[in-house]
Amino acid sequence: MDMKRTRSWYLGKASNAVMWLILITACFLVLIPLAFMFTASAMPAREIMRLPYPWIPKGIYWPNFLKGMAGPEDDFIFFRNALNSLIVAGSVAFFTVLLSAITGYGLAKFKFKGRNLVFMLIMATMMIPFEAIMIPLYMVAMRMGLQDTYAGLILPFLANAFGVFLMRQYLITFPDEILDAARIDGAGELRIFGSIVLPSSGPAVATLAILAFRSQWDSLLWPLLVVQSDEMKTIPLYITRYMAETHSDEGIMMAVAVLASLPMIVLFLSLSKYFVSKEGLTSATKG
Amino acid sequence: MRRKRGFSMERRKAVWGWIFVLPSLFFFAAFSFYPILNAFYESFFNRNLLSLRPPRFVGWDNYTYLFRSREFWLSVQNTAIFTFGTFLPLVVFSLLLAVCIMSVSRLRRFFQLALYAPAVLSSVVAALIWLLIFDPRGLANQGLNLLLGTTGVNYKWLSDTNMLRLSTIIVYFWKYIGYFTVLFVAGIGAIPYTLTEAALIDGANRWQLFWRITFPLLKPTTLLVSVMTMIQCLKTFSTQYLFTTSGAPTRPINVITLNIYNTAIKDYRIGRATAMSILLFLVMLIFTWLQLRFSKTEEVTYM
Repeated sequence: MDMKRTRSWYLGKASNAVMWLILITACFLVLIPLAFMFTASAMPAREIMRLPYPWIPKGIYWPNFLKGMAGPEDDFIFFRNALNSLIVAGSVAFFTVLLSAITGYGLAKFKFKGRNLVFMLIMATMMIPFEAIMIPLYMVAMRMGLQDTYAGLILPFLANAFGVFLMRQYLITFPDEILDAARIDGAGELRIFGSIVLPSSGPAVATLAILAFRSQWDSLLWPLLVVQSDEMKTIPLYITRYMAETHSDEGIMMAVAVLASLPMIVLFLSLSKYFVSKEGLTSATKG
Repeated sequence: MRRKRGFSMERRKAVWGWIFVLPSLFFFAAFSFYPILNAFYESFFNRNLLSLRPPRFVGWDNYTYLFRSREFWLSVQNTAIFTFGTFLPLVVFSLLLAVCIMSVSRLRRFFQLALYAPAVLSSVVAALIWLLIFDPRGLANQGLNLLLGTTGVNYKWLSDTNMLRLSTIIVYFWKYIGYFTVLFVAGIGAIPYTLTEAALIDGANRWQLFWRITFPLLKPTTLLVSVMTMIQCLKTFSTQYLFTTSGAPTRPINVITLNIYNTAIKDYRIGRATAMSILLFLVMLIFTWLQLRFSKTEEVTYM
C-alpha cells in the first residue's frame, strides 16, 4: 500500500475535521474492549463488577494471573497447554512453509507432464472449507489413531493450497540462470532448494509462517474434536474449560485472556508489516 | 552427444519436479480429497458413533430428513441472519473508514494499526471479552444506558433472541472491521492519483469525486471484500460456541457449523452431520468460486 502523501490525497488537501472525528471515534470504540481486557485483568472481581466500571486499576492484582495460570484444578496445567499451543502452531508454521516452498518451487521451475493438472488439483482444495470436511476428517483421524496426539493436531494442516500458490507466484520470477549456474557447479537439486531458493524467499516465507502460526494459535474447532485429555489441550481449549468450570471470576478470566494473547501481541508489535500487508490480508481468508 | 545430454537434463528435471510436488500431493489426498469424497459417501449412510451395528445405506434419507427438519432450517436462518447482518455493516463501515484514512494527512499508519488490533486476538479471547461486556452489569448495558439516557435498564444482550444475535454480530464486526479497512486502504492506494487530480481540476467536489471516481474504481475490491466477508461469516463457529457453552440460549444462534458439531459430537449422528456438511460445502463452493473470479478481476489496469 502506498503511503506517499501526494499520491493518495485523493480527497483534496485540507484535512477535514469530520474525517478526523470519525476516525478518532472509531478507534476509541474499537479499543475500548481491549482496554477493558487489560484493566480488568489487573482488578479483583468485585472491582470489575462495580457500577460504573472503574477503568483505572489500583495497581496490578496479581492473584488473577496466579490463579489464571494455576487453572481450575491448581495443577498449573496452563504451562503444559501453552507449550502444546506453541508446539502445534510452531510445527505447522515450520512444515507448512517447507512443504509449500518445495511444492511451489517444483511447480514454478520444473517442467513435467501433468504439472498443470497437479497445480489445478491443489488450487481446487481451496474450495473445500475445513468446516465442511471436519467430520470425515475426524473419522479419518480416529481410524489412524490420531486422537489426542500432536500428530492429530498438526498433520491435517500441513498441506496448504494458499501457501503453495503464494510460493509458486513468488518463485516463478526467480532467475533460471542462477539455478543453472548452481547445477553446472555440481550442486544437487535439494541443495539448490535449501541453500539458494529458500533463503531468498524471505518475505513470502515470513507471511506464510505468520499466517499458519496465527491460524493454529486461534484454532478451536479441530482441537475440540481431536483432543480428549486435559494434558493435550491447547490454549483456546484451556480457556473454554476455564469458562465452563469457574465462570464467575471475571478478573481471572481477563488475566487468562491477556496471557493467551501475549505471543500474538508481541508478534504483531514487532512484525506488523506482515500483518497489515496486502498478501498477509488476502491470505487470511484461508485461516 | 549434446542433444542427448539436453534430453536427459530435461528428464532429470521432470523427475525432480515430481519429487518436489509428491509430498504435498500425499497430504492433500489424505486430508482434503479423501475427506470430501468420504463425506459424500457417508452422507448416504446412517452411521451412529455409539451404535455397534454397521452403518446401513439409506439413500437420500439424511437429506430429506434435513429438509423437513425445523431445527435445520432454523440454523440456516440463523446463519443467513448472521451473514447478512455482519457483511453489510462491515463493508459499508470499512469503506467509510478507509476513505477517511486516505483523506487525513497524518497518522494513517496509526489508525490502520489501531483498527486492526482486535484481529490480532484469537476468536476465543474476543468472545471471552465480550461475554463480560454483555454481562447484565457489564459495559454494554452501562454504555447503552448512558447513550439512551436511561438508568439501570438491562438490555438482555445474552438472553433476548434478537439481542443475542446482535451480540454475536457485534463481536464479529469488532474483530474484522480493521482487517477490511486495511484492504480498502490498499484498494484506494492503488487508484492512480492522476485520475483524482484530473477530476479535481475539472471542478468536482468531494462527494462527486467519491461517487464518480473512487467508488466505481473500487468496485473490484468491494466485490472481493463482500464475498470474503460472506465466506468468513458462513463458517462462524467460535463466538456462537462460546456464548452457548457459557449459558446463552442455543436456538437463536445455532448456526450451521454449531449444528454440525452438535449433531456429530453430542448426538453421534455422523450421516446427518456429513449431509449437512455437504450442503454447507455446496453453498460455500459458489461463494469461493465468486471470490476466485473477483480476485482475478481485481488486477484491473486503470488506463
